[in-house]
Amino acid sequence: MPLSMAKIGEIFQIKKIGGREETRQFLETLGFVAGGNITVVSEINGSMIVNVKDSRVAIGRDLANKIVV
Amino acid sequence: MAVRIALAGNPNSGKTTLFNALTGSNQFVGNWPGVTVEKKEGKWKGDKNVVIIDLPGIYSLSPYTLEEVVARNYLIGERPDVILNIVDGTNLERNLYLSTQLMELGIPVVMAVNMTDLLEKEGNQIHRDQLALKLGCEIVEISALKGTGVNEAAKKAVAAAEQKAAQSVHAFDKCVERVISSVEAKLDSEIPQEQKRFFAMKLLEKDQKIAELMNNAPDVSDEIQEMEEAFDDDTESIITNERYVYISNIIKDCITNNSKKKLTVSDKIDRIVTNRWLAFPIFAAVMFLVYYISVTTVGTWVTDWTNDVLFGELIPPAIEQGLLSIGCAEWLIGLILDGIVAGVGAVLGFVPQMLVLFIFLAFLEACGYMARVAFIMDRIFRRFGLSGKSFIPMLISSGCGVPGIMASRTIENDRDRKMTIMTTTFVPCGAKLPIIALIAGAFFDNAGWVSWSAYFVGIAAIIGSGILLKRTKLFAGEPAPFVMELPAYHMPTVGNVLRAMWERGWSFIRKAGTIILLSTIVLWFLMRFGWSAEGFGMVEELDQSILAKIGMCIAWVFAPLGWTQGGEGWKMAVAAVTGLIAKENVVATFGMLFGFAEVAEDGAEVWGRLSAVMTPAAAYGFLVFNLLCAPCFAAMGAMKREFNNVKWFLFAIGYQCGIAYLVSMFIYQFGTLATTGVFGVERSFFMGTFITAAVLIAAVGLAVRSMIRDKKKGKSLQCGDCGSCKGCH
Repeated sequence: MPLSMAKIGEIFQIKKIGGREETRQFLETLGFVAGGNITVVSEINGSMIVNVKDSRVAIGRDLANKIVV
Repeated sequence: MAVRIALAGNPNSGKTTLFNALTGSNQFVGNWPGVTVEKKEGKWKGDKNVVIIDLPGIYSLSPYTLEEVVARNYLIGERPDVILNIVDGTNLERNLYLSTQLMELGIPVVMAVNMTDLLEKEGNQIHRDQLALKLGCEIVEISALKGTGVNEAAKKAVAAAEQKAAQSVHAFDKCVERVISSVEAKLDSEIPQEQKRFFAMKLLEKDQKIAELMNNAPDVSDEIQEMEEAFDDDTESIITNERYVYISNIIKDCITNNSKKKLTVSDKIDRIVTNRWLAFPIFAAVMFLVYYISVTTVGTWVTDWTNDVLFGELIPPAIEQGLLSIGCAEWLIGLILDGIVAGVGAVLGFVPQMLVLFIFLAFLEACGYMARVAFIMDRIFRRFGLSGKSFIPMLISSGCGVPGIMASRTIENDRDRKMTIMTTTFVPCGAKLPIIALIAGAFFDNAGWVSWSAYFVGIAAIIGSGILLKRTKLFAGEPAPFVMELPAYHMPTVGNVLRAMWERGWSFIRKAGTIILLSTIVLWFLMRFGWSAEGFGMVEELDQSILAKIGMCIAWVFAPLGWTQGGEGWKMAVAAVTGLIAKENVVATFGMLFGFAEVAEDGAEVWGRLSAVMTPAAAYGFLVFNLLCAPCFAAMGAMKREFNNVKWFLFAIGYQCGIAYLVSMFIYQFGTLATTGVFGVERSFFMGTFITAAVLIAAVGLAVRSMIRDKKKGKSLQCGDCGSCKGCH
């Protein structure tokens, strides 16, 4: 399912990251890699703050939709 | 020979704090050549022969952001003697990603692990020796905030630079290594041996910018194909993945993770502060508090003191006495006191209030809340084609547009940044407040709605511009997706907050000392000299002055705005023009034009005279014109620097003035229509209403056309955008 539907506080594994090449590469350098763990810290209407590799990253709803967990 | 240390690390890793701790005030701030990325250089306090270059905060050495390109061009082209890599110990895995890339450059690397104290507080432990062994580089534990270990880090870096031995580099999967060696073999002698690995990997990653740097880049498509077939993925992702695999392998043995707490304190704060229901109320309360304190209470005390005491009772009499005692000519005393001291003093009067505001903003930024504000606001700003990151420059612009424009640098996306530079000065800055007070007092009985509406007009202009500009070719397309790393909440140090406040405040003070000083001198001459019955010379009557002549020449332009009605339109025109130099000038100019040597900040003396020559509708239009038109010279200079492109700069200035003119005209024409039943009167009637109608039709036409175009497209995204269709999987 897309990350935007994930519940707060649960640990998920990233299955796939879609979207434009450039954005995907940037996400990868921030630690969003397939196989890695991700936890949602906070959520406002689909936009989220997530915990990836111990850093907190805020992502917009459109990106949260493209991350499959 | 001076040793050059390049300071590299992720954003939020404490890099700037470390840089400040190492260099103190021995800093030189400039730009990287050709781009608007800030370049900081400094000398190490411990040894003046050691130069420290602060590279931009980056996550990797990929070619995707300006900062990354700047950093790697420096590292490849200038080859510093050593890289001091600062990593955030609480977030080691992600930070080491950049480290693995830095180590491939063939430059000695010394690693400074920051925030280990925080890590230990959580019950975790880094085994430094183990990590140093695995990574093959020197490791120093530091606390940039407390200043512990920083000099040891610099010493180790200098030692590493002198040894000149670059560390041995980590190995990836066998297949990947084989491919890399095969590419390395293809590189000619142009590339030094120690850099071959970096270039080989970049070629495999299909990095065009690196290929362009090389004179004869070999064709590596066979190797790329081999790798992609072996791993069933693209080369970039394969290498990224290899790096993370390598990192997690070494990190297992180097960190003891004892923290049982699932949620950190920072997460708990985020649960509340960025909560779906509470985020906005909390944000509104914080902003209210900031502005209430910095504008109403503390701000007023300090402003009153500077205006009434410092630039009222203390400085001017002292200067006057000094000048009299040395027998200075009377006209020169006039120039210095009425022109320079009054003009510059009026500007400096804003400084204390602005500094109070900037202290708050610096605190909010340093503690980590500002990044959350960008996140919270993104949802709303996105609808108008802007990014949430545009909000921080706008907040700063409410103090002064110059640091506001400069703050737009943090926006990575070029389009979003340009849009922010163009629109951020629509927010009423401190210098526009007296104009608001003047118009409110002279025409609207000091009604509170005038100042509220000024902010509303500014915000509406930003939103309108966002919607409008996104429909043009220049800004077409979706705003870049929002991604932003959030630093953990922490208490900033007093020194860092004050430093950030001062950097912004200083850009305003510098403007007072240069541009405004110069413009007040020029204005004074234009106003005191002119053509009288005896020919050119000093004049007594203001309407004989050069300034009046200029004003009369251009006043017709503002006829559709209703400024010329009272027969004294040239005065409005002159005031508006001086406003282009500095908005602080407007009220003072009115004062002088209506024959008062000195006026209060809100120009109470001229209220009566002003209300006699303009209708309220025209006056409100005048206010709006001043709010929206191109900001002062200093802000225009900042815009030019930030755009780094004359065409863009001129377009932005033209756009701002055009919008100001049109909106002001609408207000006058429709305001007059509402109050008197006819459009703006007399000569301006035909021209004004004609243009108004033409603009209305054009605007509606443009909107309709683009809406039709949107509908035809049916919001068809490029494949690869949606992430959910077949093409994307």
